[in-house]
This record gives sequence, C-alpha cells and structure tokens, in this order.
Amino acid sequence: MSDEIDVLGQTRADGTPDELAESSASAPPAKVAPRTRADADQPRPVQPTAPAMRRNAPAPEESKSGPLLFVVAGGLLLAAMCGLVVHSTSSASQRLVSPHAEDAPQVAIADQAEVAYCTPQFKEVLQRVLHACGLEGGNSRHGCQPSDVKSFASISDADFNALFAPLKDRGAVLLFDNAADELDDGAKKLLEERFLDRKGARYFFAVARASKVGNQAKNRALSHRRANSVKFHAASLVPDPDLDKKFGQLWLGDEFAQLSEEFCSWPNSRADEKCNAEAVNRSVFVSWVDCRL
Amino acid sequence: MASSELRGRAAIALVGSILGLTFATYSTLDYAAHLDRGIHDLHCSIVPGVAPTDNAEACRAAMYSAYSAVLKTMIWGGVPISLFALGAFSFFAAFAGYLWLQNARASAFARRFFAFTSVTPLLVSLVMLTISLTKLGSLCRTCVGIYISSALLALAGLAILATANAAPRRSGGWSWALVLLVTLGSASLLPAITYAATAPDHTPYLRGCGTLKLPPDDKHELLGLPGAQPKRKAIFFEDPLCPTCRAFHNRLTDEGLIEKLDAQVVLFPLDSECNWMLGEPLHPGACIVSRALLCAQDPKAALKWAFDEQAAIAEAGKAGPKALEALLQHRFGPGLQKCMNSAKTKTRLNKHLHFAAENNIPLSTPQMYLDQDRVCDEDTDMGLSFTMKQLAPELSQ
Repeated sequence: MSDEIDVLGQTRADGTPDELAESSASAPPAKVAPRTRADADQPRPVQPTAPAMRRNAPAPEESKSGPLLFVVAGGLLLAAMCGLVVHSTSSASQRLVSPHAEDAPQVAIADQAEVAYCTPQFKEVLQRVLHACGLEGGNSRHGCQPSDVKSFASISDADFNALFAPLKDRGAVLLFDNAADELDDGAKKLLEERFLDRKGARYFFAVARASKVGNQAKNRALSHRRANSVKFHAASLVPDPDLDKKFGQLWLGDEFAQLSEEFCSWPNSRADEKCNAEAVNRSVFVSWVDCRL
Repeated sequence: MASSELRGRAAIALVGSILGLTFATYSTLDYAAHLDRGIHDLHCSIVPGVAPTDNAEACRAAMYSAYSAVLKTMIWGGVPISLFALGAFSFFAAFAGYLWLQNARASAFARRFFAFTSVTPLLVSLVMLTISLTKLGSLCRTCVGIYISSALLALAGLAILATANAAPRRSGGWSWALVLLVTLGSASLLPAITYAATAPDHTPYLRGCGTLKLPPDDKHELLGLPGAQPKRKAIFFEDPLCPTCRAFHNRLTDEGLIEKLDAQVVLFPLDSECNWMLGEPLHPGACIVSRALLCAQDPKAALKWAFDEQAAIAEAGKAGPKALEALLQHRFGPGLQKCMNSAKTKTRLNKHLHFAAENNIPLSTPQMYLDQDRVCDEDTDMGLSFTMKQLAPELSQ
C-alpha cells in the first residue's frame, strides 16, 4: 500500500486503486438511474461513490502540534508520577531512619497470670517460700518445715492463713484419715481437677497440716508424708521434668497456722462428711497461685 | 461518521485512564508508605478519594501477598505491580487526550494502535482478578477500581477501533508502531525503575527483634510441621483462627518456603477460654480448634484445613462450642471429641501457652523465629522473600 500522506499529517490527493476498491466494498452502493433500451449503447454515467467523494475532498490535516502535545502531556504525567514515587519512597526512608517514638505500637508481652490477690505481702511470703523451700536457686531440698515457715514468714498464724483466703475457690482442701497419709479417691479426683486447671499460674502450692492429736514430731512427719503423697500423685498426672521448680511444699505439722473450723466451708474432698477444726487440719491445702514472682 | 464520535470515545478512554491512574497512585502510595516498616491505614475503596482506613483486610491481604510485587528477593517488599499500571495509564491518558484533541484528524493507525494496546491493562487485570479469587479468596476494592478502569479503557479502545476504517491513513505505520510500543514499555517501566532506585535498604533492620529465652524442648510438646526438604529450623506462634496467620502461611506456601523449613508451631489461640493473657476472646473458639489440631493425626494437613476453612470455622466459633465441635467432628471423625476434651490435650495446649509466657513473646500472632531469632513482623509480610534471602539464604537454593 502506498499511502500518500505521512503520519505527521501530509494530505494525500487520492486513494490508491486498492483502497478505492476496499472503500467501495465497505460503502453502500450509490443510486444509479435505471438504464433504458434506448441508451443501452451509451456509456453508463459513472456516479462517484460516497467514499470516493470523500477522498476527492482533502483529508483533514493532523494538527502539527498533536504528537508534540501527546509527548509533552505524557512526559509531564509520567514525570509527575515518578516525582510522587520518589517523594513517597524518600519520606518512608526518612521515617525509617528516624522513627517517631509515638508511632511505635505498644505491644503487650506474654507472661504468667497475675490476679488481684497477688498483694505485695502475699508475694513477699511466696517469694520467701520459693527461696527457702528450694524452688529457686537450684537448692537440693524441696519443701519447708514449720521452723522454716516461722522464720521466713515473720507473720502470725492468722495472717498467714488470711493470705490464702483469696485462693478459696482456686484451691481445695484434701482431707485425710486420722494418722493416715494416703489420698482417698475423693482427694485424688479433686487434686486432679485442681492440678490440671493450671491456666496461667506458675507455682503450685501444697500446704500440709496435721491435727493436734498425737505428738508434735510425729505430726510434723505425718504432714510431710501427706505433702509428698500429693506431690507424687500430681507428678503421675502430668509427666513434667520441671515439677520440682513449680511445686512448693510446706508441711506445718500441728505447730503453725492451724486452720479454724471456718475452713470447713472451703471446697474439700469430703464434702458429705462432718467437718470440724480437728478434721480440717488433717489435710493438705492445694492451689495454683496466679502471681508473677 | 460524525467527528464527535471519536471525541466521545476518546473522552471515555481518558476517563478510564485517569481513573486507573488514580487507583494505581493510591495503591502505590499505600505500598510505599509501608517501606518505613510501620503499619498504615490503606485506601481501600472503589470510590477514588476516600480516606484511608484501618478496616481494609482484603487490600492488606492483597498487598502482603506474593502476587503484589515483583523482584521481592532483591528489594524489600519488591516492586509493586501498581507501578507498571501507573506508567501504562499515564501513557494511555496522554494518548486518549491526543485522540480527543485530534478528533477526525487522528489517523487510522493511531486509532488502531490505541485500540490494540488499550486491551493490555484489561488482560493484566483479568490475571490479577483470577489470582485474587483463586489464591487470596478476597477482592481488594482498590484493585477492583483498577479492573473497572481497565475495562472502561478497553471498551473505549474497541469503540475507537470501530472508527478506524473511515479515518485518514498515513505512512510509516510499522516504524511508528515500534516507537510507540517502546514508549509504552518505557512509560510502564519508568516508575518501577524510579521506585527500585529510591527504595530504602532494609538489610540493617532485619535483625534485632529479639530472641527466644528458652529454646523449645520435647517437654513443650509443640506441633511438628516439618517440610519435605527441611534446611532450617523455625518456630511459628500461630492462632488457627487468625486471618493474618492464614495469610502468612499462604505466603510461605506460595513462595515455596514452607517445605524448606523444619518448623514447629506453638499454638497461641487468642481466645480467653484457655489463654489467660486476654481479657476477652478475640477469636472465639480458637482454643477448641487448637485442641483439635493437637489431636489430628496429620497436623500439617489439619492446619492447612483450618486456614482454608477459617471463615466457616470462625463463624461456628462465634455460634458457640457445640456448633464448632460438630464442624470439627465432621472433619476429624468421631474420636476427636474424647481426645479434644482429655486432660492430656488441655495440658499440652497449656504448655504451648506457658512456652510463650516463659519466653515473654509479644502478644500477637503470627510470629516467626528462625532458630531462636525472631523475624520482625514487617519482615514476615511485605518483606518475607527479601528477609528469607538475607537471613536464610539456604532456603533459596
């Protein structure tokens, strides 16, 4: 095809034959007057087709400034976009190098539970238990006996027991027969419930006592055995190589912080049996402690 | 034909191009804003000019996906594909403006060239739409804005094509076609090259987001997720009902990383039923789903299922434990209930949470640790490919 106008807008005089044919094919046929027998030998008057007429007229000239405008507008638009990109990346770079402190989101940190009863006094006593009873510092001994508790707690019996009041529902009192250190089925079940409901607590405490029946030395040993029974059963529930680091034992015998009859109202393993001050001290109080220490 | 016909069609093409340019600009600006490693609100609307919002999950999922950018291992976050749209729509806007001005004087060649090339944004949009629907499962509204603009441009282009036969012809068509194609290509590349040249280097920021105080141990009973060709140990802290965790897992899968990691998952459900660190459940039912995962015979497949079906599971979780347990039982079989409610499983999940507490990790999911080093949050989303290339180059081999 030999166009006679270039892209920049030189007008062509006429179409090529090919183009004319193409144009004629695509245009509706022009009306031609019906020929009569009289004029059969006369040459047919040729009526120009519509496209041909259009081609005879000069094609509209492309504006010279058209391509230039395209280049300038496109260039400006592109330059603006690139400028925007540079501005946004350099702003980000600046913020990256000197971040605003207030932009940094405050993220909470995962930790063990800490609930309302973790008063400073309560935590202080617990802290002493942890140190003195071997839960911290790699001490080979695990557990505290009455003399230890008396010396480290430095508080009265009543105040010591009051510290555990908030643990009433979290913990439970496991009751024993007189002079016995074996957990019965009810005690095992209750221990299992409480021990497996750890939630966010880090330490489990077992505070063993004996009633005042019998001599002090025997009762001290008895309460120690009761504490051990609880620990052994707990260990059998969930194998845990770190149990020693989280299981705090205190055996108080009948020498320190005896429970009053009001502790019979606490959840215990013999709810259907008569409870009194003597019975409630043949026990081990167990509970997870939801305090960070 | 009436001269106003081309002008009208060119005007539609111009509107389509400017709309596309607008959406591509918003998308680019949102992407570039995140180069500061912060989290920013996103423009996520099919109405141009709407203020950015923090309620833009679909747009964020698209932005963090493996398909949002190219050269991701070379530049932190990669080069967003919206930059190519920025260049292309600039070209088409100028071209449409030219056709509008030239009107009847515009040559047949110019009209045909415009028509044929104006379809290219629509073709790319169709590919991205397919990816959005099949891979991401959601439609980003800004992206939809670009798709609509592309369709408008293509329709206008086809309408302009219909006027080409009657247009004046001019010489030098093929050489001009080449020149214009090179111009279109250059215009499309220029913003991307500018971005790549000016984007900040994140290498110094990749480390320093903390380490685990206590390495995981058998006693923690974490959920094993070994890849087919494990080359590096990793630990993920994840909530099966957390959408960001699902997106993170999809990115790891899409970028071929998951099979190269010897990963362990610490289940960290953001549900106060089992997680004492929360005052209220953020993802109700996440504790139950976590226990189900611990009971699953194939934890990897189970976790994938949980992420794939996350929306339905989350709905069941909101409906209550019974609805959720029924859904889980349908997937895992009748033996699940007993295992899920056993003391052993509950204790195991509790151990996962205590592992998080003992390590004092930030209270958020997902988190990724390479060995014991924490990968910064921003490096697990936009910067994942780049970060892995830097911190674990063996995964790229």
